[in-house]
Amino acid sequence: MGVIKGVLKEELANSLSMKKGYEKELADLPRGSLVKKKRKGHDYYYLLLREKGKVKSIYKGKVSAEEINKYKKIKEYRAKYRKLLSKVKKQIRFLRGTLRGKESV
Amino acid sequence: MEKNQYDLCLEILKRLDQSGILNKIILIGSWCLPFYEQYFRGIKYQPAIKTRDLDFLFTKPLTNNIKADIPALLKDLGFIVVFKGSKGYIVLQHPDLIVEFLVVEKGKGTDNPIPLPGLGINATALRYLSFLTMNTIKVEVDNFTVTLPHPANFALHKIIVAQRRRNSEKKEKDRDAAMNVINALIAKGEKATLQRSFNSIPDKWQATILKGLKTENENDIIELLRQNAKTR
Repeated sequence: MGVIKGVLKEELANSLSMKKGYEKELADLPRGSLVKKKRKGHDYYYLLLREKGKVKSIYKGKVSAEEINKYKKIKEYRAKYRKLLSKVKKQIRFLRGTLRGKESV
Repeated sequence: MEKNQYDLCLEILKRLDQSGILNKIILIGSWCLPFYEQYFRGIKYQPAIKTRDLDFLFTKPLTNNIKADIPALLKDLGFIVVFKGSKGYIVLQHPDLIVEFLVVEKGKGTDNPIPLPGLGINATALRYLSFLTMNTIKVEVDNFTVTLPHPANFALHKIIVAQRRRNSEKKEKDRDAAMNVINALIAKGEKATLQRSFNSIPDKWQATILKGLKTENENDIIELLRQNAKTR
């Protein structure tokens, strides 16, 4: 029983460190999503982001394919990290619940 | 074994293989245990409990022509770089697996991480790891080959390491893993391999192993190892 408890404690410590890690990664990602708008047959881009609960739109004009790709990747990583962070939080809840017994962790 | 976790492990091994790193490292730690199932086929062997730590030990010096950014290699799988402790040991974390790289400690040793600039990581240098590299086995997984310490070396190394642990639960885990593998080796008729591994290490290490086994009252194993030491 001691072995399992030890492993669970170690995994909880790892998950807590991982939670911080994913939160930092998410905070470090550039904010906003690039949105394309068509005006008079031309493509223009806006950076949409939330500030103080309101959606803010920043005009970017014509942007390079490289920048479009950069924001696409950021969007993908944001979704991935959020999903993994949610998984880590579930692990933490599970591990805390399992360990919550006679002794505090 | 959880399927997602095992699949992720295979994907990591595959990527390390494709970047020319897999043949320079051996898989160590508790993740060896499920891979030993192949070695112990036909023998009653139930892998002991393993953690999420997927540890790799560099066994060959890195040449300059090997340049692979390991964090970048695993980034799209969702791995993030985390700096552990005040010294800044790099670990690659994912909810299913935690990847860490190690090297054999040389000389008096150091507390500082060993930089591996060509790979974008650093490694932890630990004592006794050379024992794991002395005798290795190869296991075929999918389309590539993974090198593991021979189970005899793995088990005897665990007995040494268990005694250096401060955490009693980790100590018990190491001991359980070691005894599980030793019993499987005996069941496979590999007493001689166990004895050879024991005889290949310095007397001081042998004494540590015997002391560890004595604490656990594993007198039959002590007798088995001592028998051979006498006939050397």
